[in-house]
Amino acid sequence: MRSARILLAAVTSVAVVSLSACGIGGSGDSGSQSTANDGPVTGDVTGTISFETWNLKAKYSDYFTGLIKQFEQQHPGAKVNWLDQPADGYADKLSADASADSLPDVINLSPDFAYPLYKKKLLLDLDKAAPDAAKDYLPNAWQGNVMPGQKDNYAFPWYLNTGPYFYNKKLFTDGGLDPNKPPTTYDELAQQGLTLAKNTNGAFAMLGQTPQIEDLGLYGVDLMDPAGTKFTFNSAKGVKLVELYKSMYDAKALLPEALSATYTGSGKKFLAQQVAISSGSAYDLQTFRTDAPSLYANVGITAPMTNTGHANMYVQGLSVAAHSKNKATAIAFGRFVTNAQNQMAFAKIVTVFPSTAGTLNDPFFTQDDGTDIGRVRVASAKQLANGINYTPVQLSDQMKTVLRNELANAMLGKSTPQQALDNAVNQCNQLLGH
Amino acid sequence: MVTDDNAADRLPGRREPNSHCVRSSQDAPVPSSAATDLRAAGRGARRSGRGIRRHWRATPWLFLLPGLAITLLFSLYPFVNTIILAFTDAQVLGGGNFTGGANFSRMLHDPQFWTALRNSALYVVGVVPFLVLLPLLLAMLVQRHIPGIAFFRAAFYTPVVASVVVVGLIWTWLLDSRGLVNSVLKALHVVSEPVPFLTDETLLLISAMLVTIWKGLGYYMIVYLAALANVPRDLHEAAEVDGAGPVRRFFSVTVPAIRPTMVLVGALSAVAAFRVFSEIYILSGSSGGPAGADISLVMLIRQVGTGLNGELGYSSALSVVLFVLTLGLMLLTMRLNKNEEVA
Repeated sequence: MRSARILLAAVTSVAVVSLSACGIGGSGDSGSQSTANDGPVTGDVTGTISFETWNLKAKYSDYFTGLIKQFEQQHPGAKVNWLDQPADGYADKLSADASADSLPDVINLSPDFAYPLYKKKLLLDLDKAAPDAAKDYLPNAWQGNVMPGQKDNYAFPWYLNTGPYFYNKKLFTDGGLDPNKPPTTYDELAQQGLTLAKNTNGAFAMLGQTPQIEDLGLYGVDLMDPAGTKFTFNSAKGVKLVELYKSMYDAKALLPEALSATYTGSGKKFLAQQVAISSGSAYDLQTFRTDAPSLYANVGITAPMTNTGHANMYVQGLSVAAHSKNKATAIAFGRFVTNAQNQMAFAKIVTVFPSTAGTLNDPFFTQDDGTDIGRVRVASAKQLANGINYTPVQLSDQMKTVLRNELANAMLGKSTPQQALDNAVNQCNQLLGH
Repeated sequence: MVTDDNAADRLPGRREPNSHCVRSSQDAPVPSSAATDLRAAGRGARRSGRGIRRHWRATPWLFLLPGLAITLLFSLYPFVNTIILAFTDAQVLGGGNFTGGANFSRMLHDPQFWTALRNSALYVVGVVPFLVLLPLLLAMLVQRHIPGIAFFRAAFYTPVVASVVVVGLIWTWLLDSRGLVNSVLKALHVVSEPVPFLTDETLLLISAMLVTIWKGLGYYMIVYLAALANVPRDLHEAAEVDGAGPVRRFFSVTVPAIRPTMVLVGALSAVAAFRVFSEIYILSGSSGGPAGADISLVMLIRQVGTGLNGELGYSSALSVVLFVLTLGLMLLTMRLNKNEEVA
């Protein structure tokens, strides 16, 4: 009897603790406050603001402290508190801040992070608050931060990035492919992948990742209806791309781990020389040099595959919190960090690309200096001129998981490509409504 | 009921609020004779404290306050809050209306929920028998006083101390299609193709169970060691005189004496297994296996409830279901125990 009661107590407490760990946050409606977001923000640039970046402190501390000092000197009375969050868990930090109504004044956001905050009316409409800002930036970058169903922008465009593809010349040669002719379209990718798989008998694979939403976009699939209210990637074109991947999977040109791999997982497989080609960004080159010198010696760089003629573009922006107490200061600082001069300086230390009008015409981005990094930089800058951010801002993490799982089912033959995409579209549309 | 409430009654105001708890956890697995000794010792100690003046009525509450406040704030409040949220469509970013049982009916039509439930249940079935039996055998092995035995005890306990993330990553490398295990199997010509430990949905779940069992062995071994030390020697000696061999003594003396401990281990490991997260999360590279086929309930709760688009309401409803099922699992264990006691 006694032991039974102790057991009950012990296990109940374990269970209660487990349950309570999940019940974070309250249900307060943080969107109900008036945002008073109707016209240009005027006022003195003074007072203290907080500025939150995403995983930049470890490497670029000097740049930001210098920037802040300069801003504070230009605007006596203004003070900037710099906060930085590590790469993982940024969304959780933002949501905790948002539900406590303590978002930093100036926040580093990508458009898909900005969207849920915008929906809760937590961000400032910058077309209204700073009407003269748009002209300073590249039109496609400014457009990249316009929220669906809106005409207005909610973030000052900051740095841009676009992924070149890296490929392993040695594995290309071993697989019977021409190391000087990497694939330029998805059809070529599948074709070369099948050749490689036939010649290598599964010793290594062509690719380590099932298609992402960007791949569908780059293949020319219409991802959403024009109003942005529902997903439409289960079209005949979408099915065609999934069939290409399915043929690669069956031939072992696609690594089996691809079905459960996340993005970093596939990058690691390239590093371990288990796949011949992988998307990446300019700063991966440094990783290859230090972590995989034998790969670095054989690495080839090529423009991303696209069937639309446009490259995919990743956008980072700086948003201003709607409830900021020093909006004028926050706007001034956001524009200061993203102005042409400061973006140029940042691009020189990080291999990212500025989003300000005309800056990409700088010789730094147009003249190949003969180095590998220089070559990637020039090639990437050229793509950015007509780059598109294919990832719909409405696509949440949950929806990405849905897409990955359904595509895995298609690869495994548990469903046809058409069924898989239909399922994914239905589930994503349902999540969109929730 | 074997308590010494009388002793406590003789000392009004001296009754420490948690003394029950402490004593009972000692008493639980201990067979009667040893327990009597312990209690006798405890009573002696308390008797010497007699004569201290009576306390102000609120004193015990003052002592309780810090612990109580923490429990209320960080366990009970979130617990109640979770239950309330389970009936709303609350989002991580705030908001939320009362939606009645909508979350629960959504669950019924959510294939991911059923997959997760199946995996968590399979995990209990696959892990618990091993975690009840293997650590017991291990404990009996290292119970003997042989020179150097401390080394083995420590070695078996090491995985318990190690971080589950580190352990998980090491196993990921071992079980990878190009990992150590597959290399060895291939070199020995046991297999021609690498075994898909981490890419096949069934094998991935089994691999994760293996890690859980391997990591849990040492912990439950210690629990059993404590229980075994309290099995009266004279019973063993008497059985030996009666001509019982080691196997017979194991089943007739050891097992009945430590059965409450076995039930405790069973219940604890079942609850832990039902709430599995880290092992599957890490072995599957955070994705829950091919097509998410190996996702567990806790992984699903996390997936649904976090991120800027997190659905707190639905996630809370899943938590409530997890809680109810865990509670049910435990009541079942207790029921089994009680039936055996009667028998």
